[in-house]
Amino acid sequence: MEDIIKGNADVMTALDKLCSGKNAIQHTNDFFGNAFNWYTLDLPETILDAAKELYKHRARLAMITAYNREQENKEEKSLCYEFVIEGVVYSITANLDAAHDSVPSLSRIFPNADWHEREMMELYGIKITDHPNPRRLFLDEKLDKGLLGEIVPLSVMMNGASSAELWERILADKETK
Amino acid sequence: MSNTFTLPLGPVHVALEEPVYFKLDVEGEVIRKADLTSGHVHRGMEALASQRNLIKNTTLTERVCSLCSNSHSFTYCMAVENALKMEIPIRAQYLRAMAEEIKRVASHLFNTAIQAHIIGFKSMFMHVMEVREIIQDVKETVYGNRMNLAANCIGGVKYDVDKKYIDFILNSLDKLAPQVEEIQEMYATNHNIVTRTKGIGLLPKEDAIRLGVVGPVARGSGVMNDVRKESPYSAYTKLEFKSFLRDGCDVWSRTQIRLDEALESIRMIRQICAQLPDGPLTVKMNAIPTTQACARSEAPRGEIFYYIRTNGTDMPARLKWRVPSYMNWEALGVMMRDCAVADVALITNSIDPCVSCTER
Repeated sequence: MEDIIKGNADVMTALDKLCSGKNAIQHTNDFFGNAFNWYTLDLPETILDAAKELYKHRARLAMITAYNREQENKEEKSLCYEFVIEGVVYSITANLDAAHDSVPSLSRIFPNADWHEREMMELYGIKITDHPNPRRLFLDEKLDKGLLGEIVPLSVMMNGASSAELWERILADKETK
Repeated sequence: MSNTFTLPLGPVHVALEEPVYFKLDVEGEVIRKADLTSGHVHRGMEALASQRNLIKNTTLTERVCSLCSNSHSFTYCMAVENALKMEIPIRAQYLRAMAEEIKRVASHLFNTAIQAHIIGFKSMFMHVMEVREIIQDVKETVYGNRMNLAANCIGGVKYDVDKKYIDFILNSLDKLAPQVEEIQEMYATNHNIVTRTKGIGLLPKEDAIRLGVVGPVARGSGVMNDVRKESPYSAYTKLEFKSFLRDGCDVWSRTQIRLDEALESIRMIRQICAQLPDGPLTVKMNAIPTTQACARSEAPRGEIFYYIRTNGTDMPARLKWRVPSYMNWEALGVMMRDCAVADVALITNSIDPCVSCTER
């Protein structure tokens, strides 16, 4: 099936200006005619400009995905922001690198970015600047950031559960109180 | 001296279905600010998904949630099919929609029953759960299971119905429909229910748009975003059905939307039974390219969004999903402001929350 370009012309023109790389813009359809417009930003910080443009056209932020690029042998991570306007999905990818290792928060424009960004900060160690509420979402403050990226050997993980170590710690805490 | 104090509620509490911790700033009996902390049932499912092949992940994603289980495998399969450029057979499209609507009826009736349980209207709770048994029997008879239907596979469906099953489904719906209509009438007018649900847990339309809420929570506040209408997929491109909108913005409106939808789902299942085309149930999988794709669908609680990255192997490089409850939790802060402490569980139930879904 041939892919047909669908979407808001003003939004697409504005996003086109932020994505000049090779294959940075793609348009696909599913077999039911639903359109997906894919953009890869030249600079990750321009996600804020993209978000402002999308907000003007009453977009809804649907999801943000953080992922690693191990298959490209790159240490940096990427973020994929999914917005919806009138049934058309706009997927905007921001590739982080050493020179551009953070993205600005979108929470002041799209309040529902709050949970997504807090989750990315604590589980994937993504740097988000200017976040209005940078508290932990799921994990306790005592746990390290970017925990999901770590490899924990099973023997280490089981220590607390199967040995006296856990109870000794609890007893020690109790005694110090 | 300040008149406000902090009241902790949860994470384990008799009125909460799943663990979530509320920190409520209260002034007497009135809540001034609500804050919530979750993270008690994080299962690392997205990490698990990247260690399983595409076929195994159909089984995994069906276990993200219990009441929306079918919506997860359905949307996951659509995301994979979009990545692999697969078009599924027309009969499979109808059968997917049938499983989805059967689950929607059961899910909405469950939430409605729990509302009666929270209000303390035990006889109503028992009655709605008993009526729900009719659709549970349909699930058990057609799919062999009362919760996870295992109906979807990449490329189509894993089940079929013949005339005997269709007759059973239609007979069951004939028994179910008038009882659901009666339940809706009772939830709309019964004094005990109306006094506890009308004007409670208000989510104004502008807040619903601002917070990007989805599903019956959005539609109960006058925001239309039914994915089945907005971006029709599967057999929803061919079925005739209505999406409902109410503007009460309260617990009552959200319940009525769910009952409207349960009745509409019954009509849709009848339509599917009448129109079910012949043909194969699956297509073969295509070769797996290096690409990215996404898919979305309307689960009982609202929009589910799946994103997949493939790398040419049978293991996904990344699989991410966002459940409807993830978008709806923050609305509780608005709904609970200036409400009574006694209404916390009732308002929480009105977003039909799924904690396990949210934390994955």
